Amino acid sequence: MTFSVQRVSAIIVKDVKDLFKNSYMILITILLPLGMAALLSDSDSDDASLLGMPINLALVITGAFVQATMMAEEKEKNTLRALLLSPATRMEIILGKSLLSSLITILVVIGSIFISKMHVPGLFYFTIMVVLSIVIFVSLGTIIGLISRTVMETSIVGLPVLVIFTYGSLISTTLDNPVFSTIISYLPTESFSAALIGLEQNGGFTEIKWHLLNMLLWAIGSLAIAVIVYGRRRFDK
Amino acid sequence: MRHEIEVRQMVKTFGKKTALSGVNFHVRRGEIFGFLGPSGSGKTTMVKILTSQLLHTAGSVQVFGTDVSKLRDPSQLKRIGILTDNSGLYDRLTVYENLELFCRLYDVDVKRIDEVLEEVNLIQDKKTAVRKLSKGMKQRVTLVRALLHKPELLFLDEPTSALDPTNKKQIHESLRKLNESGTTIFLSTHDMQEAESLCQRLAFLDHGKIVELDNPHNLRVKYGDSTISLVLRNGSRIQIKQDEAGAQTVAQYIAKGELMSIHSNEPTLGEIFIQLTGRSLQ
Repeated sequence: MTFSVQRVSAIIVKDVKDLFKNSYMILITILLPLGMAALLSDSDSDDASLLGMPINLALVITGAFVQATMMAEEKEKNTLRALLLSPATRMEIILGKSLLSSLITILVVIGSIFISKMHVPGLFYFTIMVVLSIVIFVSLGTIIGLISRTVMETSIVGLPVLVIFTYGSLISTTLDNPVFSTIISYLPTESFSAALIGLEQNGGFTEIKWHLLNMLLWAIGSLAIAVIVYGRRRFDK
Repeated sequence: MRHEIEVRQMVKTFGKKTALSGVNFHVRRGEIFGFLGPSGSGKTTMVKILTSQLLHTAGSVQVFGTDVSKLRDPSQLKRIGILTDNSGLYDRLTVYENLELFCRLYDVDVKRIDEVLEEVNLIQDKKTAVRKLSKGMKQRVTLVRALLHKPELLFLDEPTSALDPTNKKQIHESLRKLNESGTTIFLSTHDMQEAESLCQRLAFLDHGKIVELDNPHNLRVKYGDSTISLVLRNGSRIQIKQDEAGAQTVAQYIAKGELMSIHSNEPTLGEIFIQLTGRSLQ
């Protein structure tokens, strides 16, 4: 299979130009998580969900929804068909879009850390956790974008993802249901927050290994599903 | 001589519904081949199969002498251009930015953009955002996008459906020029005038089957009724058969100075289609 860096960069450059002309996208998916990080900056709670919340919000909202919106818009406007009929391979197209989404997410995560004045413990493991989370949420964004018929529909399809992944532990506490709590505890966002606490308490690999494994499994699973959905639904109907 | 497209006994079904059945045709290098049929006859399905967007169910489909599935290779995709009636553009980007992306994807010098925009009379709108263009202008931009890399084989699916007569004429002129420079064109349309003015050979498609295939002249001769119409100086019109008696009648009118004009009664492609299928192209 051929691979062209020039074609991937052409897709990235196009998406960057398009993004900066799209105020809705900038407002909802970039400024919203940064605003939430500012609101959470005064919180003194050491609750796992709150400690990781600014980062989880950035990962879920930006990582998933920038990608979902880009994919859904390409489908809605019939431009994905034009790209797929060009010499750009399926891999180059998805890679171009995912790299841009990942880059924006990294910038928003860094911004959220600074705005929320969050202390980042164990930079090495923290970086691995962010990378795994980006794979998970960009993949989920790809799936949401491909199964939505329009950009507006990404909000409806993606809302459960946003609520469950970001506020799962808060809902779990409210409902006080052991089955629901167990399910929620396996979410990657929960693993992320729990691992952060582990690192905060001077823990190392031994303390966070199960959380890392859970996130790794989520990354592999969501990436595999995204590849299958992309293969089946890449052409607009 | 190798054919650019070769389709043999091709069948396409969607579940229990048969969209195309027993389709046979070839497209010669350098010709403009028309696929003429009403909406729902299977034209778009055929274009999608020929451009590897859809898999055929049975039979053989070859493009450039190899199986159509090989068309997914970037080196093969560089040889073809595709314009469909729902080819999308990036609304927020300018005309130039839209075309610049495809220049990079096809590895074409961006200088080519101005050249093709000039041809379709859009150079003055180069820096305009696509969302501000009319439907006809957008259609011309998508055509420019299909022509940027000077494809060997161009697939056009209803290319002028949104255009006014002036722009349609201009696009036809560009397509003729492109064809003269060596590009083979596969044109799918329900516009009989477009097919007649552009195509060297035509296939009539009805309910997923090719019901006739020939060049426009042969089709008119074959389905003509061998009569001619005379218009006399007194304003009356007479229809006569092309035989010995008819020739004598014409000679008499000429001798008396009563004949004003004489026309052969060749059917239009639309009339031939009705003769063959019992329904119109619209």
